[in-house]
Amino acid sequence: MSERDADADASTDGAGTLTRPAAERPPYVESTIIMTTVRVIAPFVLTLGAFVMLHGASSAGGGFQGGVIAATTVVMLGFAFGIEPIAAHLRNEHLALLVLSGVGTFLLIGFGGYLVGGNFLQVSGYESLFHHGSKYSIELVEVGIGVVVSGVITGLFFLLGTGVETTRDASEPETEEEP
Amino acid sequence: MSLSLPVAAVLLFMLGSALAAAVLRDVVGSIVAFAGYSFGVAVLWAFLRAPDVALTEAAVGAGITTVLFLLTIARTTVSRSERFEGISLRSGLAVVAIVVTVGATVPALPPVGAAGTPILAGDVSQYYLGNAYDQTGVTNVVTAVLVGYRGFDTLGEVAVVFAAGIAMLLVLRREAFV
Repeated sequence: MSERDADADASTDGAGTLTRPAAERPPYVESTIIMTTVRVIAPFVLTLGAFVMLHGASSAGGGFQGGVIAATTVVMLGFAFGIEPIAAHLRNEHLALLVLSGVGTFLLIGFGGYLVGGNFLQVSGYESLFHHGSKYSIELVEVGIGVVVSGVITGLFFLLGTGVETTRDASEPETEEEP
Repeated sequence: MSLSLPVAAVLLFMLGSALAAAVLRDVVGSIVAFAGYSFGVAVLWAFLRAPDVALTEAAVGAGITTVLFLLTIARTTVSRSERFEGISLRSGLAVVAIVVTVGATVPALPPVGAAGTPILAGDVSQYYLGNAYDQTGVTNVVTAVLVGYRGFDTLGEVAVVFAAGIAMLLVLRREAFV
């Protein structure tokens, strides 16, 4: 470790900066091949994500895997068309609402167990409402998990891709105190 | 399970990509080698008949983690002075010691796929395998256990992901949520 640090210091002429300023970062380059490929592939990837999410009850898969695959669609679009324009369409509030709705679905199924005469998250209680009730409630829970995972991963991708805003609180320290 | 040729090839590929990820000086090349290693693990899970785990490893380990690593590296300065990392004697000895210590526990494990392993012959596993479809109506036992029998644990996992996402928005972006 120590010799690597010394090496880095020597090569960067003792600048000591870890993050690269925005102007020196590799810019977004428009590529016809990547844009066309992504435009063709993206619907299929989203369909695969939805399939893995919904079909977890009958084959390999489930909410966690399907959510990640669905979020890959946004990642691909970000690489093809630039992260900033995509992030401008999907704002953080929308992502937070999406994630909240996923957690809400899970909790709704959980508390619904009391209404159908069972315990918390007792999915077999839904069997009394309609045929295959427990299977459909399990799939609904999987969709909720998938929505949470895809929302969080999309948000993480946008935050890492567009950069962290650290200048605001440095210039206006007073605004933090006001609610 | 005797070592079949495809499994041996995957293990060899994993070993090579793991070494490349550790030794390569170029960080981007190291990340790509790491993604290859994750993909090898996913293929190995598929060979060992754990498709749920294989799917997770391929999507999360080989896919999204690589993207996040690359995004992070794009924001830092990368030095490309030499091709390989210099390995000191001390770190080499530490690696050998860890490999020997962990490898010494391997003979204590039951062989892969043996019928008498506790995880397969245990009462709980047999109960799940026998009753999952009748009690939950789900043919994939993994999903039946995750949501049907162990739903509370899964709710905890989702809560962790949710909390991590909200904390990320709050800390990195200083979201107000008004």
